Amino acid sequence: MTDNPQDRAKLVDEIVEVIASEGMIDRAKVTPDATIESLDLKSVDIVMILTALEEKFNVYIPMDGSLQEAKDVKSLIAAIAEHITKEREKS
Amino acid sequence: MADLREGEARAAAAGVPSGRRAGSGRIVISGMGAVSAAGMGVEELWRAARDGVAQVRALKTQRPYDGRIKIAAQVPAFDPSAHIEADVLPFCDPFTQYSVIAGDEAMAQAGFGRKDLAGPRTAVIIGTGIGGMTTIDNGLYNYYMETLRPEPLTVPRLIPSTAATTLGMRYSCLGPTFAVGSACASASQSIGLGLQMIRFGLADKAIVGGAEACVINGTIRAWEALRVLTPDLCRPFSKGRNGMTLGEGAAVFILETLESALERGHRPLCELVGYGTSSDAKDPVRPDVAGASSAIAQALRDAEMAPQDIHYINAHGTATHANDITESEAIISVFGDEFGRAVPVSSTKPVHGHALGAGGGLELAITISALREKIAPPTINFLEADPRCPIDAVPNVARKISIKTAMSNSFAFGGINAVLIVQALDHDG
Repeated sequence: MTDNPQDRAKLVDEIVEVIASEGMIDRAKVTPDATIESLDLKSVDIVMILTALEEKFNVYIPMDGSLQEAKDVKSLIAAIAEHITKEREKS
Repeated sequence: MADLREGEARAAAAGVPSGRRAGSGRIVISGMGAVSAAGMGVEELWRAARDGVAQVRALKTQRPYDGRIKIAAQVPAFDPSAHIEADVLPFCDPFTQYSVIAGDEAMAQAGFGRKDLAGPRTAVIIGTGIGGMTTIDNGLYNYYMETLRPEPLTVPRLIPSTAATTLGMRYSCLGPTFAVGSACASASQSIGLGLQMIRFGLADKAIVGGAEACVINGTIRAWEALRVLTPDLCRPFSKGRNGMTLGEGAAVFILETLESALERGHRPLCELVGYGTSSDAKDPVRPDVAGASSAIAQALRDAEMAPQDIHYINAHGTATHANDITESEAIISVFGDEFGRAVPVSSTKPVHGHALGAGGGLELAITISALREKIAPPTINFLEADPRCPIDAVPNVARKISIKTAMSNSFAFGGINAVLIVQALDHDG
């Protein structure tokens, strides 16, 4: 599904939307290079973001290394997108 | 009363906050009992841990479960009336049932009959993360969903101290009796407190441990929401780990002085030599190296031991990404770069699950068995070493080693840390 660049862009856009709303940050600040720290996203905020994504995409995203180690929005989105894609392929 | 004053005075005079020689001498564990996903008994639990046989099975719930995590380490179905009298059972939530069964096993192993610990000099401290969660869950479901009249014994069943008071009534113990509620450190703190109470003369004997029974719809869904549960396999300290598996059960230990055990001709299981506890005071869910290290260091100081005296560590090892890195760093920071990487450290949680308020108890029972059989149980489901966890995790296969002294770590949400150290007794006592 994410092999298609259009689908991928849509997925990234939806993830950014959730990060902004659940993290309570200005969407404009959620740029690929923005660091998690600069956006003041705490571990609990990440949990809230993941929970919202679970509802939206009907998937389960465990807190594995790729999520915990993500230092910027780019890597966070990549980790989340990978989980969502994997789960979709399974179902 | 004379003992009490003397104990306190000696501690104060020595100027040592919790030095084991300050109070009533050496404290031993005379008996232990456990209920876990491996069934009834410490032996069943130990065999599963030693042989690396996971007790994680398909999740069974009373009502349909709509969550995504479909596995847990649940206590196998059993008939409670085979273990608990008909007049006591109605007051027993599953967490209390487990405590009673583990308590009876511990008392029997310690060589005590029902009334041998009767009186004001026995303390009962049983930790639990939540208490009677099954009773709460069923009560709320019936009230909101079925508009049923509440079960009349709902309140006495759900109270977190019910496990302790039920054991106290069973064995007629009149001393200090309470629950410790410190999440996943509950059992370890209860055991440590019992040790301190005897040392400082507040009790002669203590029935201590932890119990939990919350692998039910409401709680497992809440744990799932925190995203710390693995959808597949719990693999502590390994690359590719993605969380823990919930467990449940109870573990109970009988503490007394070495002197009192020997006087009655009983050979104790081991000596309980050290206890350290601390708080991170930082984050509700994220562990902290400084807090974990300080509890480990305190336990060593309390035992008057050097890191090199520890031959095996039963880790908290939840298999969450964060815990295992923090715990590895804490061990290395206290034990040193060389010995910290060399001492065998295993997590048995993939076998019995994370039993929360019972966790430290089940793991201490395993630690004591490891000490007695001189076998370090393995960390199973281990794929590949994670450079962020540079410890010897005893991957996948048990190891025969000489263990004289062992440590058990428990680190809880909220940042509460508790560490216990046990030591084998020489055969000449």
